[in-house]
Amino acid sequence: MMENEYILRLQGITKSFPGVKALDGVSFDVKRGTIHALVGENGAGKSTLIKILAGIYHADEGALHFNGRDNVAFRTPHESHQAGIGVVHQEIKLADPLTVAENMFVGNLVYTKLGLIDWKTMKKRARQIIRDLGIDIDVNAPVSALSVAKQQIVEICKAVNLEMKLLIMDEPSATLTERELEIMFGIVRKLRDEGITIIYISHRLDEIFELADMVTVLRDGKHIGTVPVSSVTRDRLIAMMVGRELGQQYPKEEIAIGETVLEAKGIVRRGVLKDISFSVKKGEIFGISGLVDSGRTELARAILGIDRLDSGEVFVRGKKVNYRGFRDAIHDGLGLIPEDRKKQGLVQIFDIKTNICMVNLKKVIRAGIVRKRLVNRYGTEYAKKLRVVMPSLETQVQFLSGGNQQKVVVAKWLMQDSEILILDEPTRGIDVGAKAEIYRLMTEMVKEGKTVIVISSEMPELLGMCDRIMVMHEGQKKGELTREEANQERIMALCV
Amino acid sequence: MSQVGARAAKENPVLKALSKFSKDFMSVLGIIFLGAILSLTTEKFLQWDNLKLILLQSSTVAICALGQAIILLTGNFDLSLGRNVAFTSCLGALLMKGMLYDGMAPMNPTLVILIILAAGTFIGVCNGLLTAYVGLPAFIATLGLQNVCYGLAKVITNATPIATFPNSIAWLGRGFAFPEILKKNLPWCVVLMLGIYIFAQFIFTKTKLGRNIYAVGGNKEAAFFAGINVKRYTFLAFVMAGFLAAFSGVVLMSRLNSVAITNGQSYEFDAVIGSIIGGISLTGGKGRLIGTMFGIIFVMLLFNGMTQWKVDAFMQDVLKGIVLVIAVTLDVLRNRKRV
Repeated sequence: MMENEYILRLQGITKSFPGVKALDGVSFDVKRGTIHALVGENGAGKSTLIKILAGIYHADEGALHFNGRDNVAFRTPHESHQAGIGVVHQEIKLADPLTVAENMFVGNLVYTKLGLIDWKTMKKRARQIIRDLGIDIDVNAPVSALSVAKQQIVEICKAVNLEMKLLIMDEPSATLTERELEIMFGIVRKLRDEGITIIYISHRLDEIFELADMVTVLRDGKHIGTVPVSSVTRDRLIAMMVGRELGQQYPKEEIAIGETVLEAKGIVRRGVLKDISFSVKKGEIFGISGLVDSGRTELARAILGIDRLDSGEVFVRGKKVNYRGFRDAIHDGLGLIPEDRKKQGLVQIFDIKTNICMVNLKKVIRAGIVRKRLVNRYGTEYAKKLRVVMPSLETQVQFLSGGNQQKVVVAKWLMQDSEILILDEPTRGIDVGAKAEIYRLMTEMVKEGKTVIVISSEMPELLGMCDRIMVMHEGQKKGELTREEANQERIMALCV
Repeated sequence: MSQVGARAAKENPVLKALSKFSKDFMSVLGIIFLGAILSLTTEKFLQWDNLKLILLQSSTVAICALGQAIILLTGNFDLSLGRNVAFTSCLGALLMKGMLYDGMAPMNPTLVILIILAAGTFIGVCNGLLTAYVGLPAFIATLGLQNVCYGLAKVITNATPIATFPNSIAWLGRGFAFPEILKKNLPWCVVLMLGIYIFAQFIFTKTKLGRNIYAVGGNKEAAFFAGINVKRYTFLAFVMAGFLAAFSGVVLMSRLNSVAITNGQSYEFDAVIGSIIGGISLTGGKGRLIGTMFGIIFVMLLFNGMTQWKVDAFMQDVLKGIVLVIAVTLDVLRNRKRV
């Protein structure tokens, strides 16, 4: 065992969740004192891996060797800290009203000989750490007063204070400007030079090439390769991230595409969407691709009147519309299957048939009264259409699997019979069988003359089902590809 | 998820039915159980006069409690109901006796009733606007209205009780239905209570209004994404509760033939206790309204029992608090096993 060369060795790490294998036999090594990048698409397994290292999850199988100790397992974040691992998460986890010094020492207070809290020593050490990193932050400032970039630096300082040997940074640059990025790179390099190892997760390949020494690629929970950054090209890296056979079947059929049914011109929402214009034709399956924070859901919400537009126009069936709320859009024939099926898509304590009839309630009402007979009829009809696997229509949806819950959400909107339906990550985290049902349904919908817009992070399904794909990046439209033009590399190139 | 589903299906069907029944009708079982204990341990309990008294006392609280139950279904809470009852009944008293301002003539009782129902509804409208449209937490909005109502009640009555109202309204609180046939055994206020609850139960299980209110309480976000006007239904719940509070004030006025600013005191809390015992969940979207009526009867039964057992009156307040905590704990436990 080469104790000094490698700080972290993973062997066959496997982790599953109900219905999904997040990590499948991942093995690779991380050299001490390097900046080691970790890349992969959404859902590739990066987050899960980090959470195992941070003590939040526990691997089902496999071995972890850290810092000279074999077969370690972190059962809690505290154990992970004790071992010397610090994590800077994507979302800032600082306590807003507390000061920089207080946050840095949270859970790690220093006491005087009398047993009182020793702020003097702590503040001194805090200042030292900050100064050593070449930054200028007042240790007495409340973190809420700091910019996001500075907050992130405080997070890093917090980890440094723990004297960790391995610092994991999860998408640290997502919210930083160019200049702030440079400063952060400086800090990271400095830490590396002091012998600290950094695992750096990012979608931004440019950063990887500028900063990292080594890079590991994950795809579908599997380890694809770990190579020195100097030995790969950008294209090769992208190919490693996405390269897969389009083994799944996508029931795509050629149908006649009609007139433009939805058009957006110059959509702007300050800070979120920048001047987006696109149009969708009747009968199309229109895909919207992009990374997690590229603004796709926000775009859907803006078009549907859920959020207000700062500027821009939306035309539906050729007429300008001004939706002052989601209900207006629904009445005009649009619909949305939301991203979070549990919190936004279903009332978990209600049964299947009640959830299915929730949007188009008037269909089951006669003379002001909800008719049980009709609820049962339509509940059965649409549950059958989606092939929902359920003990009975009266089962509460919370007892269904993720895939079946999603089918109920889709069934609900099928009953509403919207002309233009937007699906936000419809197949995220659901099993292959349920996915196939949803694809089949998309095809049936457009055959009936409806229009489907799919927001998705899964490139195979976009490539398999869509007539055209629009790619977004940081709130802007980066490009649009037709079915013929599109392939995984091209889309990924636009995504990053 | 699928494992839980499988487990649910494998349960003994008899046990499952029994558990469902007991969850829905815990209050009824509680009444039967408590009634059994009381009739065995006291002399006076099982006498019809005593039981009639319990129902009479329950009726005013129950009518007000229905409003609170509706609001609980939407996931909110109304602190102002009790003082709403106080204010509207005091206002009604002054109008009926022509005592609101100098030189006022007594007004037609029917007209007065309509006016105070409108007043109570208006209080509900204020609560609803503040909570649903302005976005204040329900707790704060209704707390404000609670104090406003109490203050107004004190102002208009100068904190003095008022008694004796026209006989035309006596039937509401002191009258009996079909006195010849049923021999004064079925008070009108009990009939009103039953009628209102049955009507409400029907509306809430069978109409769009009812279903959507359950949806809003069940999952506000999902209701929104299903195109339900969440603000409107949140608002309407408060309006209905305001109306019902005023209604219960009318019945109370008639039954006591007097009003004081203490009318309806703590009705909103009695309502919460009754609702939870009756199966309404604090988290919203769950429970049958008719359960609330039984819940209130149960609480009244308990306090009647306290009196029979000669428990100190002040201790009864302590017990009320204990019952509230137990009831809410049961609710929390009930919900915990599910998700």
